[in-house]
Amino acid sequence: MFIARSEYDRGINTFSPEGRLFQVEYSLEAIKLGSTAIGITTSSGTVLGVEKRITSSLLETSSVEKVVEIDRHIGCAMSGLQADARSMIEHARVTSQSHVFHYAEPIGVESCTQAICDLALRFGESASGEEEESIMSRPFGVALLIAGYDEEGPSLYHAEPSGTFYRYDAKAIGSGSEGAQAELQSSYHKSLTLQEAEELVLKTLKQVMEEKLDANNVQLASVTKDKGFRVYGDEEMKACVGRIEGDS
Amino acid sequence: MAAFTSYVSSAGQPSYSFPQQQSAPSHASRAPIQHSFYPYTDNGGSTLGISGDNFTIIAGDTRSTSGYNINTRYEPKLFRIGGEGSEHKGSKIVLSVVGFAADGHALKERLDTVVKMYRYQHGKEMSVNACAQRLSHILYNKRFFPYYVQAILGGVDEEGRGALYSYDPVGSYEREFCRAAGAGASLIMPFLDNQVNLKNQYEPAAPQGLEKPQLVPQPLQRAATEELVRDAFTSAVERHIEVGDGLQMMIITKDGIEEVFSPLKMD
Amino acid sequence: MPGFDFSNHNRNLALHAKGVPLPKATSTGTTIVGCLYDGGVVIAADTRATSGPIVADKNCEKLHYISPQIWCAGAGTAADTEFTTALISSNLELHALSTGRKPRVVTVMTMLKQHLFRYQGHIGAYLVVAGCDPTGAHLFTVHAHGSTDKLPYVTMGSGSLAAMSVFETQWKRDMTREAAVALCADAIQAGIFNDLGSGSNVDVCVITPEKTQLMRNFITPNVREKKKRDYKFQRGTTAWLDERVVKREEIRKYVSVEEVPVEGSGAPVVGERMEVDQ
Repeated sequence: MFIARSEYDRGINTFSPEGRLFQVEYSLEAIKLGSTAIGITTSSGTVLGVEKRITSSLLETSSVEKVVEIDRHIGCAMSGLQADARSMIEHARVTSQSHVFHYAEPIGVESCTQAICDLALRFGESASGEEEESIMSRPFGVALLIAGYDEEGPSLYHAEPSGTFYRYDAKAIGSGSEGAQAELQSSYHKSLTLQEAEELVLKTLKQVMEEKLDANNVQLASVTKDKGFRVYGDEEMKACVGRIEGDS
Repeated sequence: MAAFTSYVSSAGQPSYSFPQQQSAPSHASRAPIQHSFYPYTDNGGSTLGISGDNFTIIAGDTRSTSGYNINTRYEPKLFRIGGEGSEHKGSKIVLSVVGFAADGHALKERLDTVVKMYRYQHGKEMSVNACAQRLSHILYNKRFFPYYVQAILGGVDEEGRGALYSYDPVGSYEREFCRAAGAGASLIMPFLDNQVNLKNQYEPAAPQGLEKPQLVPQPLQRAATEELVRDAFTSAVERHIEVGDGLQMMIITKDGIEEVFSPLKMD
Repeated sequence: MPGFDFSNHNRNLALHAKGVPLPKATSTGTTIVGCLYDGGVVIAADTRATSGPIVADKNCEKLHYISPQIWCAGAGTAADTEFTTALISSNLELHALSTGRKPRVVTVMTMLKQHLFRYQGHIGAYLVVAGCDPTGAHLFTVHAHGSTDKLPYVTMGSGSLAAMSVFETQWKRDMTREAAVALCADAIQAGIFNDLGSGSNVDVCVITPEKTQLMRNFITPNVREKKKRDYKFQRGTTAWLDERVVKREEIRKYVSVEEVPVEGSGAPVVGERMEVDQ
């Protein structure tokens, strides 16, 4: 893949003669190693689902947190280096709160995503005389699926370490993303209900996961107008997983 | 007896039982000289705002004064905020500032920039209540070197109702139905309390006594409100020397801002 | 006892030292002018009285009577101009009686300056003295500290600069009565419109050796417009908690009425009607 790999992958702000930033490209590779995460938008809300990858039977499954709240109306799922996601989410939370503080209204989902992507680009050596020191020595190794509900309705964004983001109806990231995205492509339609979306997320995850899917090794969350962002509890997870078990 | 006679000291100078100001410092040459710089001036004038069911009126006189002098007979105290370009096309928020005109201008520029940046950053028009909160922060950010102004912000809220917010110089704010600010505020505000909020007016037909019900404020009609504003200003002009020359009125509805100018007495 | 009462001086000094400020006297930011012309003298004034930024009286009189042919325009502390001119007017009357001659304008000016100088500027009266006497038509200014000027045209008060600008551009020697009156009125209007301390109407007084003509509200350039709305309250709008009806007969108990016979005529004395807005 990387034919012209040479010294150009050392400096993180250095373009290769072909016009590539290798470190950024490598960071995208890191995400492909991460657990699968899926997001689907419906007219009534957005559903997020992640694979938990229980690597040991001794692992406390509830401590694997891959879906987190940013604000009451925004949540996100991650794939890649989880530790990197912490600082991105922290930034998103601060930005959201600062927006409420200054404007007495919830922040828009796109604005929140933009804030995260602004942070994603702040890696590398800063030019001398620049006001602040660069805070990161390398690009983030994590991608986010940001789900939210604002005055425009429900939405889903995919944010990459390169600092770009796109809005999706349905998106899969992580190790199983290729297969999952193909499945979403064929199964997604505009008139999905929230419940159907939950089921599609679980079914898709089930297809791409190495382990057998159960209520413990996946996690669902949703954002709706009335309830805002919500991570599903154990009972609700069992019910959802039960629904797709019954189907198949 | 001594206590009484000591009222006048031997030198014939009256003395007092409480500390007195030193009339002449004993070490006049060595005493530190305090220099001071007062960067504020009061440019007089008055503003008022009234919000109705589906509109808000903000008005202000156009006289700018310093001391007994008139700087100019036409310096607007009302500013459109946001909208497109320097013409503020499509703007639906009005800021009025009275007090120190230079600070008023600086404040309006700040807020206008913030509102325009908001549209670029968030891809939508800023609502009046978001703008109101932001203005409060801009004012409080200069808590220890304040903008020397009394601001009133007006617009139409997301439900289509008239919205009016009033501020103190350091950012305390409140949504209200009516507010007068500036030199003539103490003359106009009681009039507004009585005519807009119907204070001190009771149900004429009801029997007298503690149970006599207060008149309940009714939603104002736009034409009547404009007349009320004009009367408030012509009255303030009669009794306040810093108010006069011209009356600038901005009426904000869901369709935008209408501006009306009418002359006032120039004495 | 004639003169001022100083018995509170020490007490006030003590209060002042304690930080209690002196009560503020109404200082009339004013425009007053005077102008000699061929055959007489004109003085004029605006009619605004202020206390701070508030208009205390929209149509006050700043032209004070001294004697039939001598009048005074006053600026400064309202009470000081009123009392000082009344005092000098009174003394001048006595002076005229004892000398058996018509009083002279210089005499008035001299009495005023000596009175004001004695009080070292504490009597805040700034006056334009004008009149006709057997020696001709005269025009003076008297400042609160006692200094005086004798000039063909003068202005005083907070609007003096605005008014003087009119004189300095338009004044001519040997003007007619009409020209002098118009010039003075213009000067006052300059003050009315350009000085916040001055406002409302123009009062003019023309004095010739033959007669004096006081033209109260000679120009009224600041008539209030009709209010847009009616602010009449319906009867019963104001609430009260207690009501007591006192009959006319009962009021007699609290009031003593004395009928005062009017000299010369049987008509009752009628005071000047107070001016009120319509």
